[in-house]
Parts: sequence; structure tokens; C-alpha cells
Amino acid sequence: MATVRALTLIALVACCTAFAQDAPPDAAAAAPAVDTRSLDAQVQDLKKEVVDLNRDLFILEEELLFPANTQVAVFLSMDVGEFFALDGVTLKIDDKEVANHLYTPREAEALMKGGVQRLYVGNLKVGPHELVAFFNGKGPNDRDYRRGATLQFEKSVGAKYLELRITDRQRKAQPEFEIKDWE
Amino acid sequence: MIVRSFIPALLALCTTLPAAAASSPLVGDPAPDFTLRAVAGGNVRLSETRGQVVVLSFYGSECNPCRAQLAQLNGVYRTYLPAGLTVYGVSIDDDDDEARAFAQRAGVAFPMLLDPSKGVGREYSIVALPTIVIIDRGGVVRYVHREPKSTGEPVYVQQLRRLLDE
Repeated sequence: MATVRALTLIALVACCTAFAQDAPPDAAAAAPAVDTRSLDAQVQDLKKEVVDLNRDLFILEEELLFPANTQVAVFLSMDVGEFFALDGVTLKIDDKEVANHLYTPREAEALMKGGVQRLYVGNLKVGPHELVAFFNGKGPNDRDYRRGATLQFEKSVGAKYLELRITDRQRKAQPEFEIKDWE
Repeated sequence: MIVRSFIPALLALCTTLPAAAASSPLVGDPAPDFTLRAVAGGNVRLSETRGQVVVLSFYGSECNPCRAQLAQLNGVYRTYLPAGLTVYGVSIDDDDDEARAFAQRAGVAFPMLLDPSKGVGREYSIVALPTIVIIDRGGVVRYVHREPKSTGEPVYVQQLRRLLDE
């Protein structure tokens, strides 16, 4: 019996010693945690800097490729879309095709939720120009629908912003396509 | 004697080479994004499949090996669909009607896309049919294969399994 007690005591002491050796001191345990947090903050800062740099480069590239005095940007928006399911848009400026976009259901849904898409950005000389947009999709009663909209506009010094708008004409139960010139 | 011992190794190398991934400048690069019309209706944009392993099978309606490969891919698609595999057949036929008729005859479960202008084919540097391009979950081209005469389980299936496990 005494032997068993002695053995148990020795085993307990050995266990405690082993745990004491394995367990790091409090200060030592806290230090790596602080270091990790600090490293994490540094990584986050670095990520932010990269994102900022990327944004600045993008803006710089846009300014170089499309200077404000020649820039023309065409946007597309869709309001409601009950009478028209957008499939594709073809854009022509001065009889030259400049953009052709096919819409996936997800993209069309994003537009219906209020999203605005930049369909085209390019350069134009000062003077009169013509923009023609062809809209393809499914119209009322799920019929194939193709409509066009035209706008004659004057490009002056400074950026020109145009918006293709697809809206529902409730009274006629038909979609309506228009081009808005943002002065 | 030494030369003789090399013969089996050389034979093995020759057998594996045609089935190995074809060298393509695209491997390791982000897959060029595209939007194409689907035969079944609607449009498909590649970037919307990010997070899935994607197989693009470029084919033509007058290419006989393409038919066999599409049938083989159909089986692979059915097996690995739940694991996150997406397969698109991309027709580079000039004639839309012919491409549609071929797609319907092929009777595959995955979407068949139309590229009549061959713009996507050019972006993926397609020089022979059929060609299979395998894109990983991160949108990077990992393998390009031209192996119309492969028998048994094609090499790309093993690679697909690996990508699906990543």
C-alpha cells in the first residue's frame, strides 16, 4: 500500500514538473500575441497601400488615355425592366462600332437593381457627332425585341457624359429607350 | 546492354508525350474573360464562374474527334458537377445554324456556346480542334490539352480531380 502511495506521489510530482516545463512563462506567452497583432496590422496597412496605389495608377492611366478635353463616356442604366429583358447593346459613334456588350442574367439583374454600367469610354474631337445604340432582348410577351436610339450631340472642350436609359412606359406597356446628354 | 535498358524508358516517354498538356502561352496566366451566347439561350460570362473549376472544350461541327471528346466530357461533367465543375463547349463554327444543330445532336448536359467571330478562340490561341482548356478556381489557366485520340481515362481527368481538391 505504501509502495502504491509512493509511486502515485512520484508520478504526480513528475507530471507537475513536466507541465511546469512545458508551460511558457506569462510574459513569454503574451509577447508572440502582441507580435502577431502587430504583424497583422502591418499586413493590413500594406494591403491598403497597395489598393490606394492601384487606384491612383488606374486614375493616372485613365487621365493619360482619355484626357478630359477629348473624353466621351457612355453609361447604361435600366429602370424597372418589366417589359424588356436586356440581352445585348451595340454602340456606334459616327457610324463606327465602338462597343458591343452581351448581358448575362446576373448583369441584367444588377442593372435592374439600380446599377449603372460604364459601357464605353473613348476620345472624340471637338465638334458634332452622332451616337446610335441598338438594344436587343426580349420584349413584351417574350418576343424578340430590337430597338435603336440616336442622339446628335456636340462635343465641346471638356469631358462628355452620355447615358443610355431603358425605362418602362406603363401606359403603352412597352419599354422606352432614350439617350440623355449630361451637360 | 545499357542502350537496351533505355529502350523501355524511351518508349514510355513517347507514349506519355502526346497525352501530356500541350504547351500554351496561356498556362499560368489569368484566363481571358468573355461573354458568349449559349445555344440554349441567354449569355454566359466566364468571370461569373470564379470559384469553380472550368473546362472549355473548343470544337467545330466538322471535326469528328470533337464529337467523341464532347461525349467523354459529358460523362466527366455529370460525375464532377457536385464537386464544383463547370464545362462549356465552345463552337468556333462560322455558321450559327450549323453550330446549333451540332450542339443539339451532341446531346450534352453542359452549356454549348457560340463563337462565330472566333474572337475567344483567338484569345485562347486555339490552333487545333478539339482543344481543352482547364481553368482553376482562381481563374488561372492550368492546363491545355489536344488529345483527340486518347483512349481510356484521359489525362485531364486526373488533373481535374487535383484541381477540384485544391
